[in-house]
This record gives sequence, structure tokens and C-alpha cells, in this order.
Amino acid sequence: MDVGRYADLFVSESREQLTAFNHLLLAWERDPRLAEPVDGLFRAVHSLKGMAATMGYGGVAELAHRAENLLDVLRRSAAPVTAPQLELLFRSADALERGVEGAAAGKPDDPAATALTVELDAEVARMEPAAQGPRRASRPSMPVVLPGTGPGKGPLVRVVLNGDAALKGARALLVLRRVEALGAVQAVVPATAAFEGDEFDGRFSFRLDTTAPAAQIEAAVRAAGEVERVEVAEEAAAAETRGRHIRVDLRRLDDLMNLIGELVLARGRLAVLSRRFAEPDLDDVTRAIERLSGALQHEIIRARMVPVWQVFDRFPRMVRDLARQMGREVAFRVEGKEIELDRAILDEIAEPLMHLLRNAVDHGIEPPEERATRGKPAVGQLVLAAVRERSSVAISVRDDGRGIDRAAVLRRSRELGLGGGVEGIEQVGDELLFHLIAQAGFTTAEHVTDVSGRGVGIDAVLTAVRALGGSVELRSEVDRGTTFTLRLPATLAIVRALLARVGRETYAVPLAHVAEAVDPRHGEVQQVDGRETLVLRGRAIPLVRLRELLGVTDGEAPSGRQPIIVLEIGERRSGVVVDAVLGHQEIVVKPVQLPRGAPPVFSGATILGDGAPALILDASGLI
Amino acid sequence: MAQRVLVCDDAIFMRTMISDILSGAGYDVVGEAETGLQAIERYRSLRPDLVTMDIVMPDMGGIDAVREIVKEDANAKILMCSAMGQQALVVEAIQAGAKDFVVKPFQPSRVLEAVQRVLG
Repeated sequence: MDVGRYADLFVSESREQLTAFNHLLLAWERDPRLAEPVDGLFRAVHSLKGMAATMGYGGVAELAHRAENLLDVLRRSAAPVTAPQLELLFRSADALERGVEGAAAGKPDDPAATALTVELDAEVARMEPAAQGPRRASRPSMPVVLPGTGPGKGPLVRVVLNGDAALKGARALLVLRRVEALGAVQAVVPATAAFEGDEFDGRFSFRLDTTAPAAQIEAAVRAAGEVERVEVAEEAAAAETRGRHIRVDLRRLDDLMNLIGELVLARGRLAVLSRRFAEPDLDDVTRAIERLSGALQHEIIRARMVPVWQVFDRFPRMVRDLARQMGREVAFRVEGKEIELDRAILDEIAEPLMHLLRNAVDHGIEPPEERATRGKPAVGQLVLAAVRERSSVAISVRDDGRGIDRAAVLRRSRELGLGGGVEGIEQVGDELLFHLIAQAGFTTAEHVTDVSGRGVGIDAVLTAVRALGGSVELRSEVDRGTTFTLRLPATLAIVRALLARVGRETYAVPLAHVAEAVDPRHGEVQQVDGRETLVLRGRAIPLVRLRELLGVTDGEAPSGRQPIIVLEIGERRSGVVVDAVLGHQEIVVKPVQLPRGAPPVFSGATILGDGAPALILDASGLI
Repeated sequence: MAQRVLVCDDAIFMRTMISDILSGAGYDVVGEAETGLQAIERYRSLRPDLVTMDIVMPDMGGIDAVREIVKEDANAKILMCSAMGQQALVVEAIQAGAKDFVVKPFQPSRVLEAVQRVLG
């Protein structure tokens, strides 16, 4: 069998397994007495082993096999897992990840991985005598599967007990006793061990390996008493849902998006023609095409949406490693994992978020001793949260660390010859503080570290977010911590834009921020406080000459009066002087990678109807 | 014929209360026990349809009594009587073979519901 064509699938599935593996390791590290993680770990590495062996990737399969051996011994051991054992497993995860990527790329096996198999074997040999002892008494008698990770057989049963039921855990156990008469109970979530605790809230699920009809299962559950709700999801239905998902190369979705962008443009031209000919049949067809292409556009935008956990899931491991390296104690929490974003946007913000998290651990959260002297708990809180806000998504990175040192920022700004005009730190509000640290090349780190000294600063974060049509907000308080909030469009939108020409290039300005376009009459452009200003209906609007701002020298030299596009965000306005206004059209907004140092006035790019590219002007950068 | 119940609790107050609730609902309370050992003994001699069993009792606790009774009669129907906060003990009792539980302070309706569930 030619397995080569499964390589992509192998890599992506393996990554998923390794992500799950890392997560479980983190959970286990937090509480080494837990019995549940080891089963999931075993399953993940077992499944990876099977896949790698099928692909003929012997090195990966071998390493996975040794890790599986250790996990097998650990799950039969009565003693809690030790820190060196966890470390060994973490290193195995890393080596497996490298192995997976390497094998798929056709590279030979990593010698470091071979060394690791020796270490794993040694640990198994050391553990083995202990493993002959009695099985761990506290282990639940039923297999445990985390939500969504375990297959299990038979219908999935979800139960909610009455809110006022006493001893919910004991009641849940009675439910399981009742249904056991119908078939084997598997994959109980949460683990039955949780039933003995007081935190159990009366919601649980399990798989029941039975052919009994749903009604009979429900009756058995209800017979245990105090049951508020039972849902029995047939296995067949679950299988069908799984079968309905396919993996699609993102580039295909990009192509589709581009095609639809062109369709939208053609639709616009058709509408113009239809109005010109005033032919009822043509009108009907035009309207039908408008409706269909609108629906198509909506569907493709939806198809591109993915939950943020697809990127966020790699952060807990990263934060843990960083915290260790930096000697910090960090409790990392991720909120809003299910919020959806366009895949391309999500990919683009992975790097900026990683940077902000790194900063938070390195510069924000203090070492435990320092926190103690400030009366703070030794463990610093770090939260990555996604929240849906109408058409945008806000992603924040929040720490409870020392906050940004305004005096140091101001000092450093002055050294760099930036921050002119700022008298004292009392003037440095959050907005100005952000402005200062977001300048290219800004860093206050006294020495370059492996963690934050990569030459990527807040300016890179801002550039990346701006390129996606988003914005960044900062809030920082001394001793209380720092929060960066990235506001991003949820979708790669198709927007209406005004097209303008400067030199030989065409630029697009989203109509959302355009108040009007004016041809200034004599006397309307004046010098006010040494600045060129448009006086429009008694209101002074500062002007920006795009030609000068962008350093454009080509094209016809503009003569006489040039049109001005008046931009408006909230109460603030600004006038942009261009060579000519070309009209408006729908454009597909695409993120753009601008060279560093480029004026921060672009939020993206688009392809025009004639195939020419155009940069999209960012109103917030021009006001 | 009314179903026969054995009530096991070290407190007379509790035994009286449970007996009253059950008698009032037409059950026949055929015996009482104050300790785990007594419970086992009475179960052997009376073979009741249902046992209500306190968890904490002198000389032998309710859970050990459940274990013994179930060992002798796998079909024994035992209803545990527990106080709040005894979740772990109730879980243990269920694992030992108890069929249901009620939590003190008793509400007659809840006790009777549990009894009906156990007797099926």
C-alpha cells in the first residue's frame, strides 16, 4: 500500500495526539496523585505508535512504544508519578513531535531520540519490581475517558441530577449501578473518583455498551432517583457527525475566497449594466446572482472559521516551560476557547500572542520571592481570553505582575530620541505608554535573554494586528499587572471601499471610516498653527498629504486642487489628500506583511477587478 | 401482604421516626436493630423485604453490616440513612451493595420515594 499520500493526515493527527499528550502531562504535573491522566496519555501515545508504524516511520514508532511501556508501568504503579518521570515524558513528547515532523519530511531518525529510548527503558526497568505490587486501590473500577477523546462503545448518555439532590456523587453512582444491568458502562466523565468529592455538580456522562433502546436506558437512569435530565445520543448519530468532517487544505479555501472576491466584483459590474439596460429579465437574473453570490460568500466565510483552541492549545505547554526556565510560578488559564476566528487570522496572531505571553512571564510576573515581599501570592496569574464582541473578537493577555515601569519607558524613549514633548511620567497614560513601547526597536530589557530578546517587540505585535485590520489596547497598573487586548475582525471581510489614486498606485479606504470626499474650494485649505488644515463648514480638520507620507514621486505631478478624503473615527477627523478619487467598490480584505519601518497606515491589501493589487489604508493610522 | 421492613439505627428517635413514616404508608415494620451486629442477626431471622440502615452505629458500622448481609443474600434490598457530608461513606455503602440512600433530616416523601425505588 502506498502510504505517502497519508503523510499530511499523519502529521496533523499526530500533532493532535501530541497536543492532547502535552495537556494531560500538564494536568498530571499539577496533581501527580491523579489517576486519570495516565490513561489518556497511554491512549495518545499508543495511537501515535500505531500510526507511525503504519507509515513505516520506525524511529517514531519505537520511541512511542518505549513511552507507552513507561506509561503502562506507571499506571499499574501505586506510587504517584515523580517529577523526573514527568520530565522524561515531556522530553519524549518533544522528541516525538520532532520525529513526526522529521519523518514526514523524509529526514533520518534523530539520534537524540535513540538516547531517549534508552532512558525510557532504564526507567521502566527501575520501576518494574514496584509494579508487581498490588494495583492502586484508589483507581476507579471503570475506564475513564476525557470528553471527546475516547471512543467507547454504544450510545453516549448525559445525565443532569436535580439541583437540590443531596450527595450527588452517590446518586450518580446509583445511576451507574442501575444502567449496568443493561450493558457495560464506559468512559465515565468526570471520573468516578470525582463522585466522592463535594465539587461534583451532578452533571456526568458515560457510554453504555448496549442494544437497549434509548427509552429503556432513560427509564433505568430515572429509576435511580433525583434525575433532572437524561439525553441518550445514539452511537450511529455520533459516527455520522464524525464522517461529515473532512480536512481541507487552507490554500483551497484561500483560492475559493479569492474567486468569490472576483465574483463579487463581477456582480457589481453586472448590477451597473442591468441598471443601464433596464431590461426586466436581466434585472431578475442580476438579483438572483446577487442573492446567490451573497449566500456563497457567507458560507465560505463560515467554512473558514475555526475555534481559537486550535492555536491556543499549544500555549499551556509553552508557558509552563518558560515559567520553569525563568524561575516563575505561573497559573495559566485559557478562556473562550470555543470562540471562532478566520483560520488565516488565527494563524497570523499565534506569533504575536506567543510574544505577549513570553513578555508576561519574563517581564510581568515577578519571581516568587519578589511577589512575597509585595504581599502577593507566590503563584502569578496569567490569563489568555477570547471574547466575541459584535463583529470582532477581543483576545486579551492578562497578568497580575509588576506592571510596566513608566519611568523606565520614558527614560528609554528619550535615549532613543523618541517620546519628545513628554514632560513627566504623570503624563504617560495607557494610550501614550502603548505608543511609546510600540515604537520600532523599543526594548527596556537590560540584557538580551533567550526568552524575550529575540528582537521582536510590541511593534511587531502591533504591525501584525494592524495588518489584519485589528487594533491593540494596553492597560497597565504598577503592582497590579498588565493587560494587552487585541481586537480582530472575526472574518476576513468583504467591505466597500473608496478607491483613490496617488502617483501610479491605487489605494482603498474602507467606507466605514469615510465621512466624505471633497474638492476643496479656494481658501478652504489654510495654515493653522503651522499645520495644513481643511476648514470645512467651520470645523478645522488636519490634513495628511498621502503623496508625502508615502514618499511617492512618480506619476503625474498633481496640479491645482487635489481631492481630500475626510476620515472619521468617533469624534476625531482627518483629511487625506490624494491625486484622484476613483469611485467605490467591494473589496476582499487580505492581511499583508509589510516591511518593518513602513508607515503604520495600512491595514491590509486587496486585489482589484483588473487584477492589480491595492493597499488598504487604515483610518486609525491616519487620524 | 404489606412489605416487611427492618429498621436499623442506634438512636431510638430515628428508629421511631422511620417506623412511623413507613407504617403510615402501609409498610410493616417487623423489627429494629441498634447495632450492625444486631442488624445482621435480625436480617437472618426475619428475612425482611427491605432494610433501612444507619451508617454510623456502635460495634459494627452500617457499611460492614451491608457487606455481611449482601454476602449472605445477594438480593438484599438495603436503604442507607446518612447525614449530609457523608458522601464518601455513602459511595462506599453503594459499592458494598446498598441500593439507595436518604439524607437526614428526613422528609417523609423522600424516604417513601427511596423505599419505592428500592422495592421497585
